[in-house]
Amino acid sequence: MILAVNRLIRLMVVLLVVTFLSYLLLNFLPGDPVTQILGISATEEARAQLRADMGLDQPLMVRYADWLGGLLTGDWGTSYISRVPVADELIERLPVTLELLVAAQLVALGLAIPVGVAAARRAGGALDQALTAMSFALLSTPVFVLGVLLILVFAVTWQIVPATGWTPISVDLGWNLTSVLLPAVTLGCGQLAVYARLLRADLIATLQEDYITLARARGLSPRRILWRHALRPSAISLITAVGLNLGALIGGTVIIETLFGLPGIGRLIVDSIFSRDYLTVQGGVVLISVGYVLVNFLVDVVYAVVDPRIRRA
Amino acid sequence: MKRWKTPLALALAVMTLVACSGERPTAEPAGEAPADSSSPKAGGRLVYGLSADANGLNPVTDQFAAQSYSMVTTIIEPLVSVDAAGDWKPYLAESLTPNDAYDEWAIKVREGISFHDGIALTGDIVKANLEAQKASPLNTAVFQPLDSVELTDPMTVTVKLKQPWVAFPYYLAAQVGMIVPPSSLTDPRTASLKPVGTGPFMFKEYVPDSRMVVTKNPRYWREGLPYLDEVEFRILPDSQTRAQTLEAGGIDAMGTTRDEDITKYGGQKDAYAVYRTQGMPVPEYTFMLNTAVPPLDDVRVRRALAHATDRAAVVSTLRGGLTEPADGPWPKDSKWYSDQGGYPDYDLAKATALVKEVEAEKGPIKFEVISTPDPNTMQGVELAQDMWRKAGIDVTIKQADQPDLINRAVVGNYQATVWTAFSSSDPDGEYIWLHQAYAQPVGNVSLNFTRFKDERLSKALDAGRMSPDEATRKKAYATVQERLRDQVPYVFLDHLTTGAIITRAKVRGIGEQLLPDGEKGLPLTGSPIPYHPFSQIWVTKQ
Repeated sequence: MILAVNRLIRLMVVLLVVTFLSYLLLNFLPGDPVTQILGISATEEARAQLRADMGLDQPLMVRYADWLGGLLTGDWGTSYISRVPVADELIERLPVTLELLVAAQLVALGLAIPVGVAAARRAGGALDQALTAMSFALLSTPVFVLGVLLILVFAVTWQIVPATGWTPISVDLGWNLTSVLLPAVTLGCGQLAVYARLLRADLIATLQEDYITLARARGLSPRRILWRHALRPSAISLITAVGLNLGALIGGTVIIETLFGLPGIGRLIVDSIFSRDYLTVQGGVVLISVGYVLVNFLVDVVYAVVDPRIRRA
Repeated sequence: MKRWKTPLALALAVMTLVACSGERPTAEPAGEAPADSSSPKAGGRLVYGLSADANGLNPVTDQFAAQSYSMVTTIIEPLVSVDAAGDWKPYLAESLTPNDAYDEWAIKVREGISFHDGIALTGDIVKANLEAQKASPLNTAVFQPLDSVELTDPMTVTVKLKQPWVAFPYYLAAQVGMIVPPSSLTDPRTASLKPVGTGPFMFKEYVPDSRMVVTKNPRYWREGLPYLDEVEFRILPDSQTRAQTLEAGGIDAMGTTRDEDITKYGGQKDAYAVYRTQGMPVPEYTFMLNTAVPPLDDVRVRRALAHATDRAAVVSTLRGGLTEPADGPWPKDSKWYSDQGGYPDYDLAKATALVKEVEAEKGPIKFEVISTPDPNTMQGVELAQDMWRKAGIDVTIKQADQPDLINRAVVGNYQATVWTAFSSSDPDGEYIWLHQAYAQPVGNVSLNFTRFKDERLSKALDAGRMSPDEATRKKAYATVQERLRDQVPYVFLDHLTTGAIITRAKVRGIGEQLLPDGEKGLPLTGSPIPYHPFSQIWVTKQ
């Protein structure tokens, strides 16, 4: 309970700092949404009128306080550009980004764990070296290059998945999975390499612990030792990385959503920055901040589940 | 080997799920194959890739870009269209008749046209639309000459102007002439997301940043049209993956501005067709110069820049030789083109001499050119920087994103910038950008972005606007071109014919549309990526 209250207070502080900084930075950008809305042929009077109508002629602090006050009463504001409530825009796009993030983490973890275990089992062996080389290759390949390559192979040449586009789960589960497959693999591959390297290093250290030697002496099979006794205590760094990497993954979704034409939150925020749609950016920042804090709270809970020593402490 | 069983099983499960999940909802054409692939056949579905979403679909309240026109003109139609010769023709209007002075236009609408909501198109709806457009902050400058709109009879409105305006009907071929039903005027927010019109297709679904789907209007007023049952617009912002999606069969057609796409797909004539803009709608790629600030307020510096710019090198280096160097705002295949005056040739010696002359009086010539950060634009700016440096002009490059660049141009907070312009169907479309009445001092909003004030050029623009005689208009616009060449408020690079539509071979009828009275329509309009009507497009089964 105390932990939850502490987290909530921390979340509030994080939100205040992050939203204020993002509002400040956005307003440092030259220009405002008026040109985007009216185009280049509008007169000075029309621009001034619209600016006043939208409250953009108010001082920065007044506008921020207005927005914050609205947020506290559940009003996230209305997009300057689309004139749709920001909350509605975010809710419409949240499932796309969430599914992409979860799928990317599943791809990354689903491959990183067997790869990390296989590499650690015979550290320095041929398989370890091959997997290390593969990890570095993946780490050093930019996601947009990987995305284009994957589309070329799987969509253009083999035609087994669509190249781009998005089918919601509500329309068709099968096509939804095919539409998320390439984006998730593209986004997950960079993380896969990080996770596999972390797990490999921790597993190698764990396999040198006394209790592993004892288990071997008792005649337990190497497979049982590896998966049942060594993997869990070696997963702490991996779990930390999964939580912390959420930020990097969200950054990656911006590129992935643009590359694959997915209507997610990352793309919405970037488009909104370019069109100076301040309120939509602010809404997105709040959502991502809350998500980030929540995921890292969950990571703390998972620590305790994975390692009983943390629970007892 | 056993340890790989679980992931393998997962992969197989996903593949099985995919295999069993039936046809992708964004389906292939459902209609039968035409018996003769050269004659139009009704039915089928078209998936069309666009580079960006529209910022709203309401012509009264939302600023339209080229992609907005592609999406919206399937649903909402204009009063006027432009034919293949570049002349305006009535569309929803049956006729547009000026008075002798050309300061009144009687617009009579066709009988028997209904909106998708069942309301009949009448004169009072046209009147309400034009009045809403006049009141819209989008059009305060463009509709400045419009005085009032009166209902003359149930199907006719008379537009009264403050001055003669020969080219007025051309404006009604664009956003301001698109007619929506009364419900869209009273509820513009809904109309921004769910447009209603008289068009060949009806709104079905719109997911922002993802897709818009329109379905055939069975009661469309043009008999036998449209051919397609459905069109899906897919928003795919990345040009590389958009092209890959075309190759993979995920879309049937797409817009592009990349010369490599034109070269690649143009070379595979059995599989793809490439349609490029021609004539007046082709935009010109320029460096726009702020003539109100030093050193570009000195015409000798501007001329030196033009002399130092090797346009042929720009075309071969940046466009793969696909475009033609520009010597003014209109291309040579336009009836409005004139070579009067002659644009400064590439002549480094002349450029250097002019630079030395100015430097002797005012010191070294230095200025800043603004570019958007995308690699293609930066490449062009760096090429120009190198060319101008050879003439002794020191140029620095400043990057700015599109909204910043536009704001700087509008208030004059720039010295030079890359700029794409001059894509109107009629030269009068450039009136507000070139006339001295629209030039304001630096710091104020100015639609004449170069702030170039020239009496002769402005008088020629007025003559072109007011005279119904084509020979007089041609003479007037020849003067406009001459003044632009002599005074160089723009350094012209090339006619940007790299705006193109690329389709799979099964897509037919793009750019071959006939207007309601039988004339051939203008094939492609707009920039940077062109748009076209969809009512006469059809698909063969391939």
